Amino acid sequence: MRQVLKYARIWARLALMSYGVQAASPLSSFGYLAGKLLRVAFFLVFLVAIFRHTRALAGYSLEEAALFFLTFNLVDILAQLFFRGIYGIRGMVREGDFDYFLIQPVNVLYRVSFNTVDFLDVLTVIPVLGVTAYVIEKIPGGLAGHHLLAYALLTLNGLLIAFAIHIAVAALAVLTQEMENTIWIYRDLMTLGRFPAAIYDAPMRGILTFVIPIAVMISFPAQAYLGKLRPIWMWHACFVSAASVALSLWFWEFATRRYTSSSS
Amino acid sequence: MKKYWFVFSLYWQEGLQQRASFFIDRFRSCVTLISFYYLWSALLKNRPSFAGYDYSQMITYVLGMDILRSLVFASRTYEIAGDINHGRLSAYLLKPVNFFVYTFFRDLSEKSINLVSAMMEVIGLTFLFHLKVHWPHDPFTWIWFLAAVGGAIWLNFLLNFMVGCWGFWTAESGGPRFLMELFVEFSAGAFFPLDILSKRLQAALQLLPSPYLVFFPLQIFLEKTTRAQLIDGLLIQLFWMAALSGIVYGVWTRGLSMYGAQGS
Repeated sequence: MRQVLKYARIWARLALMSYGVQAASPLSSFGYLAGKLLRVAFFLVFLVAIFRHTRALAGYSLEEAALFFLTFNLVDILAQLFFRGIYGIRGMVREGDFDYFLIQPVNVLYRVSFNTVDFLDVLTVIPVLGVTAYVIEKIPGGLAGHHLLAYALLTLNGLLIAFAIHIAVAALAVLTQEMENTIWIYRDLMTLGRFPAAIYDAPMRGILTFVIPIAVMISFPAQAYLGKLRPIWMWHACFVSAASVALSLWFWEFATRRYTSSSS
Repeated sequence: MKKYWFVFSLYWQEGLQQRASFFIDRFRSCVTLISFYYLWSALLKNRPSFAGYDYSQMITYVLGMDILRSLVFASRTYEIAGDINHGRLSAYLLKPVNFFVYTFFRDLSEKSINLVSAMMEVIGLTFLFHLKVHWPHDPFTWIWFLAAVGGAIWLNFLLNFMVGCWGFWTAESGGPRFLMELFVEFSAGAFFPLDILSKRLQAALQLLPSPYLVFFPLQIFLEKTTRAQLIDGLLIQLFWMAALSGIVYGVWTRGLSMYGAQGS
């Protein structure tokens, strides 16, 4: 319990420092926040516009398709909110700051991941959560308890996979000092999950389920809520997250053991 | 003019040297292209047309969108605000170059690199998925299309240059720029054809210069405009070019009179 409190205090301190940085540039922060909200709003407008001309997208209604899009946003925003520090790992390694993290009495991965907390994402996720709740209520069947639980658990599962990907990217950066762009590849691939996986053909769906598990992270939670996910796929989702977290942690250990502190 | 072509050549070489950033940008473009290809394919799977577009017209819009995004939106004008804020602008002002023309040629080199790459992506995707492209029947359409694309390039350059000039008034122009870029991209039809939106929203967007960046040139290419609409559109594009040229000139001279060369 003391350990949990200690880490909560560290997070709060780092969050406060990040808030200070963002509050020092109010105009810029406002622009980024408004831009993030506008992007979500525009895509919702796009979805509504599509459904002016059709009644279904790959068999899903407007509310159901919106749930996929909102789940993509939830996983993407929460991953950025919690693991934003990873984006700066290359700079930490190259400028020698990583050495300071290594000698602190705190888990290095935790320290790196939470080095930056983007408060704009906190402000973005609130309306997204609100719209998601609204959309869920509109879906026939409403707020079914067990479906909601499956949705929440699989969304958390998606976040775990996102965490594993972030750890792997951080490990690559520690090893090579040149893998900054890898995180952007992940961010771009994530956008394939904006729409239901059912729009893709079988080979592409296979890639998104087994190779780059975007469908597991985004489509599975929405499908589970809609009662369209067979239990075996829920087990698959759990297996993917457990395996990816275990592999990425091993990779992180491997990378940090080979870190030579050459930049300090 | 020779010196500006030299600038073009220098930035072309620089652009090709930063291979990682270049490939990440192109990867991002490919992911967007693929996701929209699958979306529209799913929507047109069991129907002859969608919102007035048949399959080949919609696919042509998606492919054209990729090429025009690369050509019209590729820009290095984001460097202007940094040049102003860090005093680097002084070096340009002392050189025997017109900063506006210099910036335009710097942008042209970025656009040409992206255009070549986008063409290769589009050709690759066309062969990979055996896509049927809608080519214009009337050879004159090409002339009108190229004229509209030329206007779009100039119009977007003016918009971007103006936003870069915000650096004269604030060091926090990054956020507002992000907001403006997102708004312009969406309202330009760089993600979907604007005529799938409601009539009211279309009418509101037509009051802005952005639909003349992507949507209007592609409407010409798809031969979906009547002669009257074509002439009206080109005249409105000309009006925006003239109006924005005046505004940019005013902003630049006003900003320059306030420029203190801090940081140089």
